[in-house]
Amino acid sequence: MALLKREEWQDFVRDVDWSYSYVDPEAIYPEWHSGTGKVPREAWQAWEEGYKVSYPEYVATQREKEAAAYAVKAALQRSANWESLNEGWKSATKMHFGGVALSEYAAVLAELKMARFGLASSWRNMAVFGQLDELRHAAITTFFGHEFIGRDPQYDWTQKAYQTNDWVAISLRNLFDAMMSSANAVDIALQLPLVFETGFTNLQFVALAADALASGDVNFANMISSIQTDEARHSQQGGPTLEILVAHDPVRAQWVVDKAFWASARALAALTGPAMDYYTPLEHRKQSYREFMEEWIIDQFVQTLEQYGLKKPWYWDEFLRGLDVWHHALHLGLWVWRPTIWWRPIAAVSKDERAWLVEKYPNWEKVFGEKWDVIIDNVNSGNVAATLPETLPWLCSTCQLPACNATQSRDGIWRVRDVQLSYDGRIYHFCTKACRQIFWKDRANVNHETLIDRFLTGQVQPMDFGGVLDYMGLTPEVMGDDPDYEAWTKDYVARPVEGIVPRAGS
Amino acid sequence: MTTHMSAQDRGPELVPLNATFATDFVQILVLVTTANTMREVAAMVAQHVEGKRVRALPYDKIVTYHGKRLPAHMTVAAAGIQPLDHIAVDYDIPGRPS
Repeated sequence: MALLKREEWQDFVRDVDWSYSYVDPEAIYPEWHSGTGKVPREAWQAWEEGYKVSYPEYVATQREKEAAAYAVKAALQRSANWESLNEGWKSATKMHFGGVALSEYAAVLAELKMARFGLASSWRNMAVFGQLDELRHAAITTFFGHEFIGRDPQYDWTQKAYQTNDWVAISLRNLFDAMMSSANAVDIALQLPLVFETGFTNLQFVALAADALASGDVNFANMISSIQTDEARHSQQGGPTLEILVAHDPVRAQWVVDKAFWASARALAALTGPAMDYYTPLEHRKQSYREFMEEWIIDQFVQTLEQYGLKKPWYWDEFLRGLDVWHHALHLGLWVWRPTIWWRPIAAVSKDERAWLVEKYPNWEKVFGEKWDVIIDNVNSGNVAATLPETLPWLCSTCQLPACNATQSRDGIWRVRDVQLSYDGRIYHFCTKACRQIFWKDRANVNHETLIDRFLTGQVQPMDFGGVLDYMGLTPEVMGDDPDYEAWTKDYVARPVEGIVPRAGS
Repeated sequence: MTTHMSAQDRGPELVPLNATFATDFVQILVLVTTANTMREVAAMVAQHVEGKRVRALPYDKIVTYHGKRLPAHMTVAAAGIQPLDHIAVDYDIPGRPS
């Protein structure tokens, strides 16, 4: 007897919704987990996945992907490939491993929530594949990073980072707990598959794969490309969910999409921006972060908004201006506070690198040049100590990243401005107006405490910078430092210097 | 019996502030006390940035709070600066509006 083709049986067997006669549907799909809101329950029956797959097909494809990725890894393990990689590029991968490995595990839980509480059986079915994807991503990312621990202890943070109180980890947990862990199934589908995976994983998995190949890191490129093929499939849970939500509650749809886009843009400015525009060696950079954002994220996001009848977010102009500032300032912040991170951030501001930055970002010198020049002059005067921090950067109460977004004054000078809010008896500070707006509208939510909050409430002891490093779990062999000061300071040796701090004891 | 002491009588108390220095790229945490004068506060903010990320200039420094320049001798308590408030420290450059 010939087997039926998948399309001849799948619609029937995946339709496992029925009318409940013994229990209240609310008991099975409670609102706080499912999140139907103003959408009538029956409307979700129209949910139709854009990409259909059966379980045997899924397993066969995934097996091939795994075999391919691990075959390359096994071959490269025997070569000297890792030793030949540039330190800046290695930093990009350490940042990725620590930031992503267990975020993928958090995504397992998000997919499982949709697999249980999604409001159509087609959606739940697709989420089952999604959670298997994410389980694979958590495993492959952890395993690939783990291989290098024997050569460099910073790779230990592949598995460790997400579980520490490092400020980068707190920021990521804050993002993903809101996006994936505490949200209901409908909001998860919009925030995670639609916004984060359809848009932003392109940045981390496509752009970085290109830079990885150019940098000679075939293993890493292979790993993230393997992951991206899964993302492309399970991210399609977003579209059908948005379509139904927009039809019944466009205001909620707009708010959830806007908020997720902003939160993702802030996080990727820290995670991907420095990797693309600084850590990747100049000769291997394919596109600037801004160019990649414009081509791969913004165009696609605007198309999605138009396709579903949504408007551009209220913060659109602030976001576009941020493309020239956010990730450069975050790079400078990561560099200054380098003892607080688990990779070695190279400054990458030699004359050639600065020329590239100015070509891509015409205002770069005006906004960041002086700061780097003073740092360079201190390094060249033998005073690296003057470039190290003795206090904390102020962390935004929404995105938990440093408040470091300068805007131009009428007199032409770029300054960081305070964006604050008095609420419930205390003052909150934000990196941007949009972060403040999101905090205000979501103020009933429980946010993670920022590192500043923890410091000021006595959770960090002793209350000094050493206490902060200890609280974040950073040990001397792991804490970051610039891997090659000379590489980016030698162009400026012996130039006249004024206005820097004297060396201690001089 | 509970005795309520005025701010002046209680002795210096810690006041954590959100601060910026001149054209630096980031807001920072600076811990001052209610007894510190604005001259001292300006120096405490500047020590993290001046000559380290922003070139030192030969001018006095001024503290701006809620859009107003505060006198150099005024204390944190007298200025009414509260924990978590924002202050901006700038050079008092002749001819440049602050």
